[in-house]
Amino acid sequence: MIRKLMATAISLALGAGTASATDLNEMSWDEIVALAQEQGELTWYVWYLQDELRGAVSAFEEKYGITVTIPETTNSGQKDKLRAERDRETGDMDVFATSFNTASELDLSDFFYDLDELLPDTEGRAQEIGGISGEGYLFGFWGNQTGIAYDPAHVSVGDLPQSPEEFAAFWAANPGKMGFNYEKGGSGPSFITNTLRVLSDIDFYNPESSPEKIASLQGGIDFFNEHAANYVITASNADSITRISDAELWMAPAWEDHLAGLQKRGEARSDIAYYIPSMGMSGGGNGVAIPLNAPNAAAALVFVNWLTSAETQTALNVSFGTAPTHADADGSKALVPAEQRVYQTGWASKPFYSDMLAHFVEEVVLER
Amino acid sequence: MDWRKSAQVVLLLLPGLGLILAMIGSVLYIAVAQSFGYYNLTGESGFSVEFWESMLDRKIYNRSWRYSLYIGFFSAIISVALAYPLAIWLRRPFAGSDVIGALLKAPLLVHGLVAAFLFINVVSYNGIFNQFMQGIGLWDGPRRLQNDQNGFGVLILQVWKQMPFALLIMIGSVQAISDDVLDAARDLGAGAFTRFRRIIAPLSLSAMQAALVIIFMGAVADFSFQVIAGPTNRQSLAQLMVFFKENGQWNDAAVVGVTLMVLALLCAGLLALTARIIVYGRIR
Repeated sequence: MIRKLMATAISLALGAGTASATDLNEMSWDEIVALAQEQGELTWYVWYLQDELRGAVSAFEEKYGITVTIPETTNSGQKDKLRAERDRETGDMDVFATSFNTASELDLSDFFYDLDELLPDTEGRAQEIGGISGEGYLFGFWGNQTGIAYDPAHVSVGDLPQSPEEFAAFWAANPGKMGFNYEKGGSGPSFITNTLRVLSDIDFYNPESSPEKIASLQGGIDFFNEHAANYVITASNADSITRISDAELWMAPAWEDHLAGLQKRGEARSDIAYYIPSMGMSGGGNGVAIPLNAPNAAAALVFVNWLTSAETQTALNVSFGTAPTHADADGSKALVPAEQRVYQTGWASKPFYSDMLAHFVEEVVLER
Repeated sequence: MDWRKSAQVVLLLLPGLGLILAMIGSVLYIAVAQSFGYYNLTGESGFSVEFWESMLDRKIYNRSWRYSLYIGFFSAIISVALAYPLAIWLRRPFAGSDVIGALLKAPLLVHGLVAAFLFINVVSYNGIFNQFMQGIGLWDGPRRLQNDQNGFGVLILQVWKQMPFALLIMIGSVQAISDDVLDAARDLGAGAFTRFRRIIAPLSLSAMQAALVIIFMGAVADFSFQVIAGPTNRQSLAQLMVFFKENGQWNDAAVVGVTLMVLALLCAGLLALTARIIVYGRIR
């Protein structure tokens, strides 16, 4: 018994079953898959739709015999954990999901494996989303888009507002029938940001923030305040969709994949339609990376290869309505017609984005 | 007491008091230090009053602490005000009093988040309350009641959740008042309100103060009711703290956290003192 315990302790101390970047670089793909199957498990930190994604990864588990654990976590919580665990020799995370627009908060090379060197085939896999590069460390697995969800029973396709002025006209004609959130989700902030962008002359993609730049938003701030009585502030992304589904609201910003997922599960009315206004709304996507101290790096690599493949991306499009992040995938099940994708804009750059939103809260939300 | 006995007392207290001091003290220390620029997780660490200065000027912060105090104060007062008559009513057992007592305490078993979601369903635009009001002809059409700007929804939820707690604390104290004392007062011509003011309230003051303080502190730090049923044009301190933390602004979150702790402590003390002054007419 003591011998067994000692052998286990020694093997743990020597890191048996783990592989460093150098080891993986020197291995063939077949050897990596074999090692991955020997490791037999991995933990994927992803902050949304955990229940649904647990179902979606079962195809991977069946194919490779590797168990995927998706813990309950939050976006900021898992980022804090990543930072806190950076100096640990072996961390808890094998695969880490993050949105491309917040990836710039991290120096990717300090945290993650260079997947460009390790994946067997990177052709067709998105490494740049919304103008932000994953630099070979972050690969897209989830394309998403914000737009406007609407109730076709009350709003016809020909009357869909396309610009801030047309939205104002809709609000005036239908007071209290459009709502948007400013927190707990990015769909409302996307609408706010793009309206402010259209009504100002400043560069939203320059991260620089200054009191003068923020003051230049005044035209847009005035716009929202002038029409304050005619629109509703909702509590979250989910609240917006729930209130359209309940026929309280006729229009609200929403995430395409969020709405599609709710409709597929019967949690939102299936007749709710969706569009991207020509003034533009933000889109982007989420990517996956493998932390340098991943305990099951080989299994993580095989998982990332599977997750970002054309087949899996097609399956995610069918199940979740996501925009595929592989060039060969079929994206025909999305809510948005392909011709409206040209209206996608990137997210405003931080720290300007955070300051702009804080200014909006102070000058518009708190003035209500 | 010689040093041996002093050391013995300290050692005996250490397992309990030491743990409390270590747990609370370390959290308090980190929060205060972070509010002054230390332990910055994403930037330079070092002493700075910048975070306090900028926060004290912000509309969102000033509205937030006023709103939290409003929720805390009215939740405590209304909960205790409703619990008192119920405690007096249930002072002596009667047929069915056990069942009534159990029903009144039932909200203690329901998690606040569940209650908040149920409440939202009830008051939603096409929810049963709107349907009922239209059904009886009082309203012509549905009204928007969700996330009302006065925080009435949060107050209703707080009182629903906290009143049973106040009842639980106060009922023992009210039951301990002897019938002889109340009968004597009645014989001397004291009416119901005078008996309450001159006998029941003074003799149950400690329980009332405990209920006020505990409910106030819980309500002033409310997060779950606020994020679901609270107004969207203002945030509670706990909500604001999480908002900053989610944005990676740890030092700003710490400023809000320290404000929350200081306000909860000071105002709870003030509330207990005010209750004593009102009941006795003076501090004693």
